[in-house]
Amino acid sequence: MGETLTKPEAVIQKENYFSLSFVLSRVLNSGVIMSIEKNDLELKGLEKGIAKLTNKKYVSLFNSYTGAIHGALWGQDLGYHTSARLDHPSEQEKKFIHWLGITLISDQHIKQAYVTVEVNWDNLQQLDQIIFKVSDRAPVLVLDFTGLGFGPVAAIAANDENIWKKAERLKIFGAFDLQTMWTQEESEPDLQPALQFNYRLSPLVAACVKLTLLRRNQS
Amino acid sequence: MMKSDFIRKPLALPSDDWVQAPLAFLGGPSIIPEDVRKTNFPIITKEDVIQMLISIQQDGEQVVDEFKETYRNYVGANYAIATASGTSSLHLALVGAGVQPGDEVIVPAFTFIATAQAVVAAKAIPIFVDIDPITYCLDPLKAEQAITNKTKAIMPVHVHGLPADLPALRHLTDKYSLRLVEDASHAHSASIHQQLAGSIGDSAGQSLMADKNFPVGGEGGIAFFKEKEDYERALAFLDSSGIDYRMSWIAAAFGLSQLSRLPYYDAIRARNAAYLTNALSETKLFSGPFVPDGYKHSYNMYRVKLSPERLGLEDLEDYLIKDAVQQLINSEGVFAREWQNVPIPGHLPFKNRKGFGNGYPFTLSDRQDFGYDLNHFPETLKMLRNSLTICRELRTPIEYERIQAYALAFKKIDANPHIIRELVERGSDLKVLYERDARLG
Repeated sequence: MGETLTKPEAVIQKENYFSLSFVLSRVLNSGVIMSIEKNDLELKGLEKGIAKLTNKKYVSLFNSYTGAIHGALWGQDLGYHTSARLDHPSEQEKKFIHWLGITLISDQHIKQAYVTVEVNWDNLQQLDQIIFKVSDRAPVLVLDFTGLGFGPVAAIAANDENIWKKAERLKIFGAFDLQTMWTQEESEPDLQPALQFNYRLSPLVAACVKLTLLRRNQS
Repeated sequence: MMKSDFIRKPLALPSDDWVQAPLAFLGGPSIIPEDVRKTNFPIITKEDVIQMLISIQQDGEQVVDEFKETYRNYVGANYAIATASGTSSLHLALVGAGVQPGDEVIVPAFTFIATAQAVVAAKAIPIFVDIDPITYCLDPLKAEQAITNKTKAIMPVHVHGLPADLPALRHLTDKYSLRLVEDASHAHSASIHQQLAGSIGDSAGQSLMADKNFPVGGEGGIAFFKEKEDYERALAFLDSSGIDYRMSWIAAAFGLSQLSRLPYYDAIRARNAAYLTNALSETKLFSGPFVPDGYKHSYNMYRVKLSPERLGLEDLEDYLIKDAVQQLINSEGVFAREWQNVPIPGHLPFKNRKGFGNGYPFTLSDRQDFGYDLNHFPETLKMLRNSLTICRELRTPIEYERIQAYALAFKKIDANPHIIRELVERGSDLKVLYERDARLG
């Protein structure tokens, strides 16, 4: 695949094999998480963990970093034919944002659209401090967990409920689609879905990230 | 505490007498009592756990590659890209086939929303076409009428697992120099004359998420390509757009061990579906799916058609009869339901056409009328009104006694037309299903 895609530098470290084997076996045998159900505990659990970690009220999970960027922008009504400011976007971000039809600008009067924290095994112990430092620089915090090696996975965290709602609306089987699936009633008629991607995170991957975050200060 | 999938209580051996018992809805005994209704799928065995333990110690990219190659071989496709979801695989299949912004892509009105959203993701315009009333797949005759000079591709869906009429559609794509892109998301191991779905069109997308016959660990998909040029175009698109559509190695690892059991599960599903179809043919009200000669249905879902006129109920509204039957059969322990209640053009994203923002890519089209009015899809509406779907309950390779019990439940309803009439006539303010809010799945 393309060379620009985010790729973890190291595979999972040996000392974590046992924990991961345990969690994956455990999650595999729980059955429930394998399906689209409202009791998707692993995803909810990870969302809660990230809310606590970032001290933000709302968290939305994505199956890739670019998905999370899309959620962060769409959540702020930044779509085709709009512009956004980003400090030091990567080549991949530039390409993706261009593909979305959004123009990058450098007007310092405008707050940057989001700020990213790349989470990997090297900075895991300092995560709280890193997040604290950058948290107020943008309305949305994007956490890229891809560097942990479980596969592409990211999240957005924000205090504005509307950002979260719109980002969820971007996802096929996001929070609102699931609601309609069970009740057959639009719960947010004023906030209607447009283009949707399946950015839904696998609960298995969510379980691994959740475990990693829970154990980060133990070693 | 370990949560076990082990079935703790056996099903009772079915007996034809059950059909004569009072309906469960009216207080009689359920054909399948509440505590034995649960079915498990995917089934997780020691192979899955061991494969996971092995894969943890390997390079993630290699695990995904191994999965992709093994499954590509199984399907018989020339090239493949493993993806994060079925939607992303469809997007890549379209882009690989050369779909460009502003192109039109013909899709069936009856499908899951991802089919049409993938077209919008490719910055193209979905043009919805009605279904064939017998197979419920895209009607090739109507597809031909929908072709314009902007049409680039036809993307049929092998809905519920029955391959669409690809020979007729290939004839069309040849005639008008279009591309044929399969949405094979329901059709794992399905085939036409032994050729597997996913390997027949110019390209194909397939979902491997949890509700599919071949589920990887939670979410995943795969795109297939016949020509190297198309495959390379899809790879180049990934690079130029920056999109990360990669599959997680955890999902791939789970897929590797599940794949070796797919033929077994397929055989049980086919056996169960054949049993049920045969049993339904002995009823007046119900009939099972039609499968053309040489076609292999994969039964990701099983749609049951209702023919009220054969029970003297033709004076009643068909959708009210369907609703009454749904209540009755659910009480007997068979979870037959609506899967989709509104044709996809009636879902909000296509009513509003906001797209990527500011109406793009719909703004690329000169069309005033996008043809999304539900009245353009009478066969889809009729099918939604007069049929019910069994999903997970038949996807699981269920026991012989369970499929026998399902059949008896339908026979029991069939033996009680007066109760159906009573339920309908008791009055209902139920709106016709496609006038309610659209739901996914």
